[in-house]
Amino acid sequence: MNVHQVLSGAGPHDAVSNQARAFRMLFQAWGWGGADVAAGIDPRVGRAFSPLAALDPAPGDTLLIHYSAYAPRLRAVLERPQRKVLLSHNVTPARWFWDYEPRIAIQCALGRQQLPEYAARCDVVAGVSAFNAAELGSDRVVPILFDSAGLGAPRAAEPAGEPTLLFVGRLAPHKRQDELIRLVALLRRNGLPEARLVLVGEPMKPWYLKELQELATALAPGAVTFRSGLTAEELAAAYAEASLVVCLSEHEGFCIPLLEAFHVGVPVVARPVGGIPEVAGDAALLVADRDLAVVAELCRVALEDGPLRATLRTRGAARVAHYARGPVAAQLRALLEG
Amino acid sequence: MTPEEALAAARARAVAAREAGGYADLGGLTIAPKDRIGTDQLMEWAVLEPDESTMRSTRRLGLPITYFKRALLHVLRQYHGELTAEQSRFNMHLLVHVAELEDRIARLEAERDA
Repeated sequence: MNVHQVLSGAGPHDAVSNQARAFRMLFQAWGWGGADVAAGIDPRVGRAFSPLAALDPAPGDTLLIHYSAYAPRLRAVLERPQRKVLLSHNVTPARWFWDYEPRIAIQCALGRQQLPEYAARCDVVAGVSAFNAAELGSDRVVPILFDSAGLGAPRAAEPAGEPTLLFVGRLAPHKRQDELIRLVALLRRNGLPEARLVLVGEPMKPWYLKELQELATALAPGAVTFRSGLTAEELAAAYAEASLVVCLSEHEGFCIPLLEAFHVGVPVVARPVGGIPEVAGDAALLVADRDLAVVAELCRVALEDGPLRATLRTRGAARVAHYARGPVAAQLRALLEG
Repeated sequence: MTPEEALAAARARAVAAREAGGYADLGGLTIAPKDRIGTDQLMEWAVLEPDESTMRSTRRLGLPITYFKRALLHVLRQYHGELTAEQSRFNMHLLVHVAELEDRIARLEAERDA
């Protein structure tokens, strides 16, 4: 069997490209062939993906379309006679980008507009979460193939040193790193003067990173660290050194960092949006309150209460088991074999 | 404490802390979503003013490429100026039409309701 993966864009650190690479390794293990192509390829990606023009499927092949952004050039793929499977990774609503990055806002607006049309023209539609699938009227779910190998074993002991909050995700408006900076500033003013924040993620644009850095300097000087382009070992170390993972994103289709935190054994505080409640289950402290004082106090509870942290670690391990590679791979195979 | 009890406890602690004078609001950059883009905002966006400093290479060790691309922009600035002027002219006239239509609808609605 040959499965060709089609992406709107391929980058060195984004979740969709990583997922396509992981799928390809599975396909190879199953003895399947095919090529991985993308409409736009970041020069840092190397040769893992070929340009869209290189797509040359045989009549019986399957096309797996990973949809995550506006991609007018993928329309030609829909014209092909082969069986087409669309996997939605979700598209962020444009409302978070109009003021900050118009090009991305336009792509998001058009992407969300285009997605139902693409879904209607594919043979099978699924999402990486039930939230994503439901947006397209589907109940087929193939979760993210979570690979914990790069993160090493779960940590044996709590980290020493000052309380450290961690968030892993692209520096973008809907991820609300501005709120995380405000949160750590509030914690430092209200009982946790040593609190630190580590933000791991590629900046949407250099100027956006600069604005966040200026905010951090103004509200919590010296307490916020920005990191990007981490190796697997460096990311594992960031999780191992974290006291708490906090996610105040306004939109998440799945949120892999939750599973990474659960694997390492870091308690999680998160906003229950998009696919987060589904992925977190009962293993994270979910807080919908807009009042950052409540979020800050919840963080303090999670940092200070040992039995609570132990319960969250146990439940987190169960969530990782729920997303074990074997069952997810079987779901993927069933989806593709039809 | 169980995870199910944590949020209620945090809310109670936040109320107590605020009563004690804690958690003063902080200023600075606050991201806000935008659902409805007003005509004034569109007018502001309609005039294209590309910032040459945003031109960069994403390649590793791409600094020489960034310089080259910016130099290229610089020598092509007259042509780009023509393009952006034409697009800005179109944008502005379109927005003026939209604003006039909005005024007309408002006037007609006011006349209807009078």
